Amino acid sequence: MTGEHLRIEVSNLTKRFGAVTAVEDLSFTVEQGMITGFLGPNGAGKTTTMRMIIGHVAPTSGTATIGGRRYGDIPCPSATVGAVFDAAAFHPRHSARDHLLVYAAMGGYPASRVAELLGLLGLAGAADRKTRGFSTGMRQRLNLATALLGDPRVLLLDEPGNGLDPEGMSWLRSFLRHLADEGRTILISSHALGEVQQIVDDVVVIRQGRLVASGRLSELAGSAPPVLVRSPDAAVLARTLMENPPEGVAAPRVEPVQPGELRVHGLDAPQIAELAAAHRLRVHGLVTENASLEQLFLDLTTSDLTVEERGSAR
Amino acid sequence: MRRLIKAEFRRLLATRMWLVTLLVAALLGGGLIGMMTIVGPENFDPPMPGLQTEAGVRSVLGMLGFTAFVPAAIGTLAVTSEYRYRTVNFTFLFAPHRWQVLTAKLVTYGVAGMLYGLVLTGTAAVAFFGAVAARGVSLGMPTGTVIELLARIAVAMVAYTVLGVGMGALIRNQTAALCVVIGYLYAGEMLLMMIPGINLVYPWLPGGATASLTDFTAVADAMSQQLSTDPVHLLSPVAGAMVLMGYTALASAAAVLRPMRRDIT
Repeated sequence: MTGEHLRIEVSNLTKRFGAVTAVEDLSFTVEQGMITGFLGPNGAGKTTTMRMIIGHVAPTSGTATIGGRRYGDIPCPSATVGAVFDAAAFHPRHSARDHLLVYAAMGGYPASRVAELLGLLGLAGAADRKTRGFSTGMRQRLNLATALLGDPRVLLLDEPGNGLDPEGMSWLRSFLRHLADEGRTILISSHALGEVQQIVDDVVVIRQGRLVASGRLSELAGSAPPVLVRSPDAAVLARTLMENPPEGVAAPRVEPVQPGELRVHGLDAPQIAELAAAHRLRVHGLVTENASLEQLFLDLTTSDLTVEERGSAR
Repeated sequence: MRRLIKAEFRRLLATRMWLVTLLVAALLGGGLIGMMTIVGPENFDPPMPGLQTEAGVRSVLGMLGFTAFVPAAIGTLAVTSEYRYRTVNFTFLFAPHRWQVLTAKLVTYGVAGMLYGLVLTGTAAVAFFGAVAARGVSLGMPTGTVIELLARIAVAMVAYTVLGVGMGALIRNQTAALCVVIGYLYAGEMLLMMIPGINLVYPWLPGGATASLTDFTAVADAMSQQLSTDPVHLLSPVAGAMVLMGYTALASAAAVLRPMRRDIT
């Protein structure tokens, strides 16, 4: 790995396949050393965008660079960028070792690197088996091993969790976190947000080929998640919270959920507890409802409904 | 480029296909020619000139030209299997300058085609001379000329392997590419010869050029006789070689240039 600054920059990228516009005027940046979730529903243009970054697909207009260079201009590119696209990209009659040796030869890496990766990815025991007999999890490990042959600092992973069982998913998460902790830049696409929510630092969300949102996940999720309050004095508490917000805080929005239960927007759990205590009202439970990325994703990527409209529809 | 060629050889040798292909070459070369020599062309149906004539020797050895679909198919598979099994993802990730990948394939499969040609003609030579000695026939062609003829056939096999690589690059779908390559070589040219007028183009087609290179006129003659058309005049062996080389160059150019801008989706 080199010490070069390796940020991925996508600028005004557009791709048309005939009459179909897959990606339109898309711009975003993936910062070095971060895991960035590249999110969007199926068909949003994630794969096309990632393939444009590594030159598999030629953009109709715009540019995509890694460390300021187009992929084809990077000297020894496999030592800088690794990428995984399809679930299985191996000859079915090749063994895992054969497959890795082909690409080690192509990249100029020693056979010892192949053995090292087979061990690191937990494939040592299956190294000489034909890949046609591999499970989805083993295929994904072999994909990752291939991408890591050149010890690249940038990784592009297109839906790596597809088809993995919970155990495989858990392994993938911890492996990717381990890779990111080594300072690698990782762009990971997904349509199933629960898969990446736990590991991503930043997100880029696209819909129909256009950018919908990008930035820190925590910022996008909003600063004040709602709080679910259980209280036998719910009605009085609702009025009290709305009429006596803490100093400098706007009046919260309180929605009754069911008898004895309220959802409070605009105050956090300690503020609600303090106010209830000050007014000698009983509180049996306070649960902060952390906005899930899944919900955010739905809000951002489903039709043209606003977050509020979706909220009231539920 | 050296790394890419090394990688292509690794890929080629990683399955047993190379061994099977060389066995096929030995079977077609040694087996087919040995059997035909023992039977003798004069006993074919319809009978052909015997081995004591030059035409007889040419008609037997020239049959090897019909096995060109084997190296052509191998060359085709070299490219189409990359798309079929999606290894192209990694290949163009490791080597983003696609012309280099295809050039490496052309070199690798050119060598593979040469080995195929050598095994095919080597085993054919052993079987042919062995059977001729066994039958005690006095050959209508000097030994040196027989060997030269076999060498020309070996060269044609290299050309067909490279042609296959080019066709694979043009038609990425494996089944479609194999159907076109094998179908054309096996039946396409024969069918074209049945069309009056078109048969005049035959000498310029790959099969016609191969027939010129190997002095194999038996099929063209039989065809024109059966169809009562004017005899097809093949090119000279050198001109045939030039035409075949032209097709090889076209296929190589297609192989190198076609994937340059094509999207991998």
